[in-house]
Amino acid sequence: MNRVADWARRYGALIRNAWLVDLQYRASIVLWIIWGVTEPTIALGIWWSIAGDGQVGGYARADFARYFFALMLVNQLTIAWDSWYLDRWIREGDLNYRLARPLHPAHEAVAENIAYKARSGGMILVVWLVAALVWPAVRLPLAPGRWTLTALAVLLAAAMRFFISFATGLLAFWTTRATAIMGLHGGVALFLSGRIAPLTLLPPAVAGVAALLWFPYMLAFPVNLLTGAVHGTAAVLHGFAGQLVWLGLWVGAYQLAWTRGLRRYGAVGG
Amino acid sequence: MPPAITAEQLSKTFRVKVRDPGLRGALEALLRPRYRDVHAVREVTFRIDPGEIVAFLGPNGAGKTTTLKMLAGLLYPTSGRVEVAGFVPWGGGPEFKRRIALVLGNRQQLVWDLPPEETFLLNRAIYEIAPAAYRERLAELVTLLELGDVLDKPVRQLSLGERMKCELAAALLHHPPILFLDEPTLGLDVTAQEAIRRFLTEYRDRHGATVLLTSHYMQDVTALARRVLIINRGRLLYDGALDALVARIARTKRLELVLGGDDGVTAEALAAFGEVKSFRFPNAVLEVPREEAAATSARLLAALPVADLSIEDPPIEDVIRQAFTRGVQEDDS
Repeated sequence: MNRVADWARRYGALIRNAWLVDLQYRASIVLWIIWGVTEPTIALGIWWSIAGDGQVGGYARADFARYFFALMLVNQLTIAWDSWYLDRWIREGDLNYRLARPLHPAHEAVAENIAYKARSGGMILVVWLVAALVWPAVRLPLAPGRWTLTALAVLLAAAMRFFISFATGLLAFWTTRATAIMGLHGGVALFLSGRIAPLTLLPPAVAGVAALLWFPYMLAFPVNLLTGAVHGTAAVLHGFAGQLVWLGLWVGAYQLAWTRGLRRYGAVGG
Repeated sequence: MPPAITAEQLSKTFRVKVRDPGLRGALEALLRPRYRDVHAVREVTFRIDPGEIVAFLGPNGAGKTTTLKMLAGLLYPTSGRVEVAGFVPWGGGPEFKRRIALVLGNRQQLVWDLPPEETFLLNRAIYEIAPAAYRERLAELVTLLELGDVLDKPVRQLSLGERMKCELAAALLHHPPILFLDEPTLGLDVTAQEAIRRFLTEYRDRHGATVLLTSHYMQDVTALARRVLIINRGRLLYDGALDALVARIARTKRLELVLGGDDGVTAEALAAFGEVKSFRFPNAVLEVPREEAAATSARLLAALPVADLSIEDPPIEDVIRQAFTRGVQEDDS
């Protein structure tokens, strides 16, 4: 058996189990999808009425519609819940048996992410396609180059959000407030990543701060790439460079938290 | 043959935050945090040979589980040396982890919402077990643990005993040569406890596995392990045969009598021979100094209408309790 096949089998088994567990919690999944659709829809509704027949910061109603539909999809494909899992694993001792297995616990988390994203992203895509059938404003041109670049940017954003969530969850080795810290991060990200409004609509000072941090690369960059708001080689390269730099820094933070955290781990709870 | 497990001068110290009760204590802890060192394990040294079953005994908080977790590579020792299956556990990586199983009685790896077989299949992939070997091992574990009826029921619907059996199956599918079991019979009824003990002995006999287990149930210890490690407040108090420990600590023997004739024998009459631990005609239990047991028995047989008499060691629980409270060395007189 070669290595690639072994890893494919491991990931296959982990993803299969994640989906089997999902099937036990159908109602909660429907609720999360509804929330995933509702939040951008509310934001869209607000900007729709503000824009009226004119434009706000260069965005007309149809632009807002495309932006928030793209956001809905990209958010589902990049969101990471890992800090909540990590916090529980560490505080309640569920990390113990995971550390005793010949598989780094991060692989289980990655597999969970793939399972979740395939399921939720798929559903949101269906929602989008149905909407596009009746609502021309949310249709996007079938430009293979743009979709390919977006796929790459979504992958990098998903990786970055995964490492942010995982590394923050690892703070549970030191504090009981890891999820609160992640909640705070989510609150800031609501504004600085473009979830509540396109970043060009932020006050210049806030947008300036956002540009210095990782938040725009989590969501706004791949969303703008998909809608066409980011175009031109320089802008696209700048976006990818930003993603790579911040991804590298968060991978470093994760590695530091993991090695230091394990050293001080008390292996609580039996 | 090199030992399966070696621990030399193994120590683990935790730094814990201390705070006084109440709001004031909480505020003080926030502004001026104070820490205290807890020496969970202190300079523990032992070796375990391949194929041995060894019981780790000690009261709650004695350091058993901490030691077990250091051996399994979950915790970094503060100092000392450990080697398990030829590996230093916390640097052993996947190759080391394939050689051990860790079963924690109060934590489970079975996926709660799915039938146990799904966890087994997951472990087949994680441990890279070939399909034929998987089928063969699962069949063996299902037979030994009598799991036939439970494989397709969601774990949440299983009884505690069924769950623990499935935990063992999940932990042993990769045939680890070394097993660390922390309270494997915790909370189980007598029948389930016996089933687990039978299984562990059978598994060791078939596969030559080395087993280090902790338990609060003395039946586990007497049924499974000839050798015990006694630990208290982080220090290893005793390492050796269970029989030898009893001989070393128990300064008394118990004479269990069944009296004959009518009920003319009184407690006062029995008290002349030793301490009366219980008396309800026709049964009586006396405790006498160890070295006088034979002579006292002879005097009893001559003086009283005794239908049956047996000389026993005190219950193992009493011996262990004495070892915990008074230590082992000081009783070695």
